[in-house]
Amino acid sequence: MIGIVVVSHSRALAEAAVGLASEMVAEGDRPVIEIAAGLDETTFGTDAAAVAEAIGAADSTDGVLVLLDLGSAVLSAEMALEFVDPEVAERVKLSSAPLVEGLVAAVVTASTGAPLDTVLEEASRGLAGKQDHLGDGPAATQQVVASDNFIDIAVGNEHGLHARPAAKVVGLARRFDARVSLTNLTTGRGPVDAGSLSMVATLNAQQGHRLRVGASGPEAQEALTAISALAERDFDDAPAAQPSVGTSNSKSGSGLDVAIGPAIVADRDVDLRGYRAGGNEQERAQDARRAAEEQLQTLRERTAENVGAAEAAIFDAQLALLDDSVVLDSVAENIGRGENAPQAWKSALDALASTFEGLDDPYQRERAQDVRSVLDRVLRALVGAAEPVTADAGVLVVRELDAATAAAIDAERITGIAVRAAGTTGHGVIVARSRGIPLITGIGEVDVPSGTLVGFDARAGSFVVEPDANVFRTAIRERTAEREAALAEAEQPAVTVDGQTIQVFANVGSVQDATDARGADGSGLVRTEVLFGDRRVAPTVEEQVEAFRAIAAAFGGKPITIRTWDIGGDKPLPFLAQGKEANPFLGERGIRVFRRRPELLRDQLKAICQVALETPVQLMFPMVTTAEEVAWALAELADIGSSGWGVKVGIMVEVPAAALRISSLAEGLDFVSIGTNDLTQYTTAADRGNSAVAPLADGLDPAVLQLIDRVVREVPTGVEVAVCGDLASDPDAAVLLAGLGIRELSAVGPQVPVIKSRLRRTDLTEAAKTAAQALTLPSATAVRELLAE
Amino acid sequence: MGVEDFANWLRDSARVLHENAGYLTELDSAIGDADHGSNMDRGFAAIVAVLDETSFSAVDELLKKAGMTLVSKVGGASGPLYGTFFLRFGTALAGAEITPASIGEALKAGVGGILARGKAELGDKTMYDAWAPALEAYDAAVAGGSDLAGALAAAAEAAAKGRDATTPLVARKGRASYLGERSVGHQDPGATSTTLLLESAARTLA
Repeated sequence: MIGIVVVSHSRALAEAAVGLASEMVAEGDRPVIEIAAGLDETTFGTDAAAVAEAIGAADSTDGVLVLLDLGSAVLSAEMALEFVDPEVAERVKLSSAPLVEGLVAAVVTASTGAPLDTVLEEASRGLAGKQDHLGDGPAATQQVVASDNFIDIAVGNEHGLHARPAAKVVGLARRFDARVSLTNLTTGRGPVDAGSLSMVATLNAQQGHRLRVGASGPEAQEALTAISALAERDFDDAPAAQPSVGTSNSKSGSGLDVAIGPAIVADRDVDLRGYRAGGNEQERAQDARRAAEEQLQTLRERTAENVGAAEAAIFDAQLALLDDSVVLDSVAENIGRGENAPQAWKSALDALASTFEGLDDPYQRERAQDVRSVLDRVLRALVGAAEPVTADAGVLVVRELDAATAAAIDAERITGIAVRAAGTTGHGVIVARSRGIPLITGIGEVDVPSGTLVGFDARAGSFVVEPDANVFRTAIRERTAEREAALAEAEQPAVTVDGQTIQVFANVGSVQDATDARGADGSGLVRTEVLFGDRRVAPTVEEQVEAFRAIAAAFGGKPITIRTWDIGGDKPLPFLAQGKEANPFLGERGIRVFRRRPELLRDQLKAICQVALETPVQLMFPMVTTAEEVAWALAELADIGSSGWGVKVGIMVEVPAAALRISSLAEGLDFVSIGTNDLTQYTTAADRGNSAVAPLADGLDPAVLQLIDRVVREVPTGVEVAVCGDLASDPDAAVLLAGLGIRELSAVGPQVPVIKSRLRRTDLTEAAKTAAQALTLPSATAVRELLAE
Repeated sequence: MGVEDFANWLRDSARVLHENAGYLTELDSAIGDADHGSNMDRGFAAIVAVLDETSFSAVDELLKKAGMTLVSKVGGASGPLYGTFFLRFGTALAGAEITPASIGEALKAGVGGILARGKAELGDKTMYDAWAPALEAYDAAVAGGSDLAGALAAAAEAAAKGRDATTPLVARKGRASYLGERSVGHQDPGATSTTLLLESAARTLA
């Protein structure tokens, strides 16, 4: 078998081309392929000495075919022939074929044991299929001898006779002492030589086409039988599982809320000073766009695999920006006006970011961060700068945390992330949290010199430059021990010292969340809008049933509480367009959305009821304010024939009005669940995403606690009270809630074991005393101090 | 004339190319892939590193080693081109007495190598546009009784003229040829580095 050498300016290009071509044939049939490309991993260039060495390594008495890209690759390859033994040089051919197409054709042909000249000829015809398809090259012509025997076969595989199955036909045809030809009877193309990959490709044989296989020569019959059998097996083109991304960053963080380490300050702009404009700025702008696009696609795949589909969907927004004709036109226009590529991208995307920042809605405002993240990525591609988070270990300090950074971080090296901006709904924050990476937001403009020791404790809300390392190390040790002990007994029920069992559930937005929630007694909140947040169109009833079933299965059949679509406010859904509202948090949110268009809700209710036949399911409606809304929701449920389905029905208590009239509102329901985040912001009239007022929106504010207390005391007999907001994820607050009489808590998955462990050490009589005292205190700070005692 | 003199030429060239790296890259960014300066700088810096580490007993050994170093370290087309030049230049001087005439023959052999490798013709807007008039001027000077210093000075001067004459030309070789008419108005970076090498030779090999 001949050997093959690939000469290219770029090692990455050569390796990718070889990878692509190698896919075409089974490992044992591949020819030796050597690479001489790039001066090193990243420096473009060719080296004649390296080419000579590669030829030596690929050489055998059958000879070597050299495929090359352009310019110095040609000169270096020619020069290499002067360096090698003249006897070896005799049996080396340099091919003018296009690198990728030529290499694919060469590898396939070489694998059949074809001689050097045949492989060279096939490689040089590598463009034929593409030219024929696009109709922009000389028509591919090839003489095919008339066949004595023929059979007809059908193309059954999904993607037709594309490269891999075509390669199988070619390999088989060459194995026999026969001239084999192929004609596409459906399109009339052919006949072509079945031993030539490039010619077979020109047949454009799609699924459902019929092909005539002709053969002549001593083994004509055998060849026909073999190819017929291959066609029967759909050319062995079974859909393969997607290979996993090799460099996935699936490692999880410590899951703690405290971190210490040298500061890695990554809030600087990309340095453009070394950039030199050339005559091809448009081209460079495009190249950078493509590079950024590829990186994002890889990140998207990795995130889908390691974090979840909803988080991965975040990158769709960034990818869409790179494909946005308005953005691209603006870049091209800016270059046309004389700006260089970095300036042109900067002007275009800065303008867009400002537009987002000018919007009222905080969720939309935070999308500006996606824009800046994309801009930085493109600029880095233009100046050849590395990703901002490099090989250092320590605490990452960033201005904003974009999803790309959060997903790519090596959680073993980055011990924690400190974000200057306030706001907890940013995509990056969501991704980092779900990866268990310690995180603090809203540290503001603290001066953090790169490399100085920093520490933070998100539980206490403190960020310290040059802290007393021992204090933090002790905290980390204690909380790690706390966590490990908690994990060890996670599956045990949370029974307080005085014998009261408290149910601890997990809040989930994906099947993965459910799988990760160790020790949970079920789910107290399935966020359906997150579960299907990456959909462009509404999921069908069946799809929802499937997803709910998977979550129930992940909890081992323990009860799950499915919340109907909670849309609006900061949570738009792609498949449910909402008009712009002046004040979305006080607008059409949750159940309010469906009063005017109940269809989506009805599908969801059907799915929930169907799953309830198989597994214990609770159903709750979000954002309820009045008894009339409850009646409407129950009527909708009754309309789809829910009676006897055995679904427990409840509502979320997030609106102060609902808490105040809980005695009448919850009449006839099975449970209520307090959403402390919204209840807090509506009670304090403060947006937790706005750093100027965020301290006001503290769930431990005694006013909020008084509302919770009222719900527990005034709820009709028999109606259970649960808490599923952030407050339930804080161990101190969880004890306080238990003291107020709450018997069901639903926390973020990683906190479940910690909460349970803490409750096991709690004496409810003591906790009730503390809670009663907390209700009388003047501020959240005072409550926090009380709890710390 | 011996090993030390040629080593000095290479060291001086490395210095000049380093100083002009930004300039060469700028020229190349107008019509090529913006790497000629950094490529040449890297190649000649590698030669200096070899000179610092190895001692050579013969001129041809030194020059051939320099050629191979350029082949491996430059990366762009100028690697095999200048590499071939030094390989053939060195080979031609093997065992020969160093005289203006033998240097002239060696230069011719080296440039012959560049032509064979690059297949360029006069007026293609390449380094050959500097080499060709330089060879002619060198020969004329030697024929007129000039010493090595004079002949090299004449060659360098002619190369500079050839270099300047590349500006209005349309590139027909290399990456610049993709630009066609748009390459007009830019000085060729290869002809520029050739001139720098010859000017350095005139300074150091006399």
